Amino acid sequence: MTAIDARFAKVAGAVRPARAKVFLALTGLLLLSAILSLAIGPTGVSLQSLPRALAAAAGYAADSSAERDRLVLIDLRLPRTLLAAFVGAALATSGAMMQGLFRNPLADPGLIGVSSGAALAAIATIVLGHGIAAPLIAPLGIYALPIAAFFGGLITTITLVAIAARRGRLAVGTLLLAGIALGALAGSLGGFLAYASDDRDLRDLTLWSMGSLSGASWQKVFAVLPFAAAICLAVPHLVRGLNGFLLGESEAMHLGIDTERTKRITIATTAAAVGAAVAVAGVIGFVGLVAPHVMRLLSGPDHRVVLPGSAILGATLVIVADIIARMAIRPAELPIGIVLALVGAPVFLHLVLRRGIGGGE
Amino acid sequence: MLEARSVSVVAGSKRLIDNVSLTITPGRLTAVIGPNGAGKSTLLRVMAGELKPSEGTVFLDDTDLLKVPVARLAARRSVVAQSTTLSFPFTVLEVVMLGATVPGFGIRDSAAADAAREALDAVGLAEFETRMLNELSGGERQRVHIARALCQLATAPPSQAGTAAILLDEPTASLDLKHQCDVLALIKAQAEMGRAVMLVIHDLNLAAAFADEIVLMAAGRIAGKGKPDDLLNEDLLSHTFGCRLRVVSSEDGGRLVLPSAITGKAIMGAAAE
Amino acid sequence: MGVATRRFAIAGAALALAGFLTELGFDRSRAVAADAAEVRILSLGGDVTEILYALGQEQKIVAVDTTSQFPASALTDKKSVGYLRALSAEGVLSMNPTLIIASEQAGPPEVVKAIKGSGVQYIDIAEKQTAESVPEKVRRIGEVVGAASEAQTLASKIEADFASLESDRKQIKDRKKVLFVLAVQNGRATVGGVGTGADAVLQLAGADNAAAGVNGYKPVSDEQLAEFSPDAVVVMSRGTADRHGASTALELPGLSQTPAAKTKNLIEMDSLYLLGFGPRAPSAAHDLMKALYPEPGQTAATP
Repeated sequence: MTAIDARFAKVAGAVRPARAKVFLALTGLLLLSAILSLAIGPTGVSLQSLPRALAAAAGYAADSSAERDRLVLIDLRLPRTLLAAFVGAALATSGAMMQGLFRNPLADPGLIGVSSGAALAAIATIVLGHGIAAPLIAPLGIYALPIAAFFGGLITTITLVAIAARRGRLAVGTLLLAGIALGALAGSLGGFLAYASDDRDLRDLTLWSMGSLSGASWQKVFAVLPFAAAICLAVPHLVRGLNGFLLGESEAMHLGIDTERTKRITIATTAAAVGAAVAVAGVIGFVGLVAPHVMRLLSGPDHRVVLPGSAILGATLVIVADIIARMAIRPAELPIGIVLALVGAPVFLHLVLRRGIGGGE
Repeated sequence: MLEARSVSVVAGSKRLIDNVSLTITPGRLTAVIGPNGAGKSTLLRVMAGELKPSEGTVFLDDTDLLKVPVARLAARRSVVAQSTTLSFPFTVLEVVMLGATVPGFGIRDSAAADAAREALDAVGLAEFETRMLNELSGGERQRVHIARALCQLATAPPSQAGTAAILLDEPTASLDLKHQCDVLALIKAQAEMGRAVMLVIHDLNLAAAFADEIVLMAAGRIAGKGKPDDLLNEDLLSHTFGCRLRVVSSEDGGRLVLPSAITGKAIMGAAAE
Repeated sequence: MGVATRRFAIAGAALALAGFLTELGFDRSRAVAADAAEVRILSLGGDVTEILYALGQEQKIVAVDTTSQFPASALTDKKSVGYLRALSAEGVLSMNPTLIIASEQAGPPEVVKAIKGSGVQYIDIAEKQTAESVPEKVRRIGEVVGAASEAQTLASKIEADFASLESDRKQIKDRKKVLFVLAVQNGRATVGGVGTGADAVLQLAGADNAAAGVNGYKPVSDEQLAEFSPDAVVVMSRGTADRHGASTALELPGLSQTPAAKTKNLIEMDSLYLLGFGPRAPSAAHDLMKALYPEPGQTAATP
C-alpha cells in the first residue's frame, strides 16, 4: 500500500509544470529583482527620483541634487544592474552548457580553463602591473585588469582546444582532463606570482577572486554587449545538439546532430561568456552550478528550457546577491561571491535534499 | 537501401572488419551474429555512418553515406546502441522526444509529443510517459530507446523522409526471456512495416527465430550468409565459434543450437521426463 | 501543507523580503539630509585618519576605512566604508562627504573614478614610506582641511623628531643586524625584505635589515633564517591574542642558533605604530632604536 503511494508521488513529481508558466514566472522574478536593484542602494535615492535623474541626464536640471540622483540611478545602479544580469546569465548558461557537453551535473563553467586563465592574467596584471609589465599595462589605464582577464581566458581556451583536437575532432574526455591540467598549471603559475607579490597585491588578488560588481560602468556594459548578443545567437543552435549529447556523443550523431559543430560552438560561446563575465566582475562561483540545477528540478533536463531558463534565473540570482552585497554592511560592501555562497548554498542544499539530485540511470 | 561495399576498418595494425559487403533491404530483418570481437558492432557503426571505413564505401540509395549530411541521414536511419546512459533525470516521454527534431524552445511541442506518445504506444509503454527513466527496468528502458529511434524516423521532415533503416546493437543483451521476445517481436514488426532492420545479436536461436537473413561474422570477415535454416549448420557454427555446437530439432519442428556440453544433459533431461 | 497554502507562504515571504529591502533603501534618506555648510570628511587610509585626528579634525570626519586603526576610536565612533581597496561608489556617496581625503592606494580604480566624477572634492595623498613624506602628508592634509597652521606646527615637530632621530642614529657605533618577522605560520616565518615599511623603519632606527636579500614580505625557510643570523628579531604585537604566532619566532629551528635567540633579543611592537608612517613615525622609530640599543654607551644620550 505505502509502496504504491510512494510510486504515485514519484509519478506526480515527474510531471513538469508547463514551460510557458515557468518562463513567465522567471521573467517576472527577473523584472522584479531588476526594479529592486534600481530602487535600493546605500544612498537612499529611490525610484521616485527617476524623472529628475532622467531630466538631469538630458541636460535639463542644473540642481546639484538632481545631478546626484542622476549619478546614483543612471551611472551607478543601472550599469550595475545590467552587468549583474549579464554576468549571471552568462555564467548560468555556460554552466548549463558545460554540464550538458560533459554529461556531468557537477561540471563548472570554468572547466575549459577560462576562469583559471583569466585569473592568471588578472594576477599577472595586479602583481606585475607596477613592476616589469608597467609599460605594457599602464596605457590601458583602469581597464587593464578586465582586458587582461578576458584575453587570459581566451588564450587558455584556445590552447585547450588545440590540445584536445585530433584529426579535426574534439575528444570530450581529453578536453576535460586537459582542462583540469591547464587549470592546475595556471593555478601554480598564479601561486608563483602571488608568492612574488606584496601583501597589498595579495589582498587585491583575494578580493578579485571573490568577485564584485562595484566597478560597474557604462563602458563595461557596452563592452559586454557583443558577448551578450553572441550568447543569444548561439543558444538556439545549441539546444538540440546538447540534448543529443545527454544520450552520448555517438547517439547525438545518430540523432542527426553535427557533434563537432555543437562542441565547437559550445566551447567558443562558453569561453566568450565566462571570459567577459570574469573580466567585468572577477570570479563569481556557484551561479553556474545552481541556476541550471534549479532549472532541471523545475522543468527537467531539456536544454530548450534549461538554457534560457538558467540565463534568466542566473541573472536574477546575481542581481539579488548584488543588492544584498551592497546593502548588508553599508556603506561598505561585501564581495558578491561570498553573498552568493552564503545565501545560495543552504538554499541549494535544501533543494537537493528535498527533490533529489540527478544521477545517472 | 543501405549497402556496404568491400568495407574495411583498420585500427593500428588490426583489421577490425576486413572486406565486408552487406546490404540491408526494406521489409527484411537482417541479423548479424558471430563470436565476440568478430567485428559486428564495428560493422554496425560503419553502416550507421558513425565510423568512417578505412577502405570501401557504404551507400545510402547509391549515395556515399559520408556525403549525406547528418541531419538528412537521421531522417533515414535510426540507431539503438547497446547501452545508453543518461546523465540527467528524464521522464520517459522526454527521452523519446529527444528523438524528435523540434524547433523552438519547447513551449509548442504538441506535435512532437504526439509522435513520441505514438512511439511509446508502439513499444507498449503508453502508460509510462511520466515515469522517470531511471526507475524503469532494463527491458523497459531498452524499449524506451527503441521508441526514441522510432520517434526519430516518425518526426523526420517529409521532404527528407523515405524508406528508413533501423540499426540495433544487441538490444536484448541484458533482458530476461520474456523481454527478449517482446523486444524482438517489436523489431520484427518494424521490418514487416517495410523498414530495413539490422540487428546485432548474440543469441543464435533468437536470431534464427526472428531474422529473415542471418550474417555470420568471424574475425572481421563474413563467414556465412543466408536464410536461418541454411545457416544453422553444425560444422560452420562450431568452426566459427571455436567450440562444439549441436543443432537439435525440437518437437514442434524448430531447430535449436546448443553447445554440446549441455545438449547431453538437455537430451537426458528430456528423456527422463 | 496544501499547495495553495505553500504558495501563499512563498508570496508572503517574497513580499516581506521586498518590504525589508525597500525599507533598507529608504531609511538613509533621512540621515543624509545634511547641513549644506557643514564640512563632511571621508578619510581613507590609516595614515590619513591618524593625521586628521592629530590635527584635531575628528569632528569633521563622517566615515573612515577599515585600515584606520589609530586612534582606536576612529573605527568605533565613525562609520566604516569598508576596506580601502574595495570601496563601493554608492556606499561612499551615501555618507554625503564634501571632502574625500584618500591614500593613493584607494580602489578599485573604476570606483575611485566614479567617485571623482560625482563632483565631491577628492584629494589623493601619496604613499611613500620615507621620513620626508610624513611632514609632506601632514602639510597637504592641513591645507585642504583649513588647518594649515596646526599642520605646520605638527610637521615641524615631526621634522625635528626625525632630525633628533638621525643624530642619535649617527651615534650608533656597532649597527645591529635585525630581522623583521611579520608572522609565523605552520613553522614558517614571513620576513620583511627590501621595499617594505619594515625595512624603512629598521633603517630609521639605525639597524641593518638582516633580510636585505629578500624583496617584499616573503615566507622563508629555516635554513635561510639561520643564514640571516640576526642580532635581534622584531615582531608585531597584536593585542593579547597573538594570532600570527610571531612571538614564537625565536623558537623556530632556523633562528634558535642565531645571536638573537642566544641573547633572547625579541622586540614586540604594535604594527600600525611601527609601520603606519603617520605622525607617530619618529617616535616609533625611536622606540625601536632604544629597544635595539639599550646600553647608554651605544647611543649617545639625547641632550
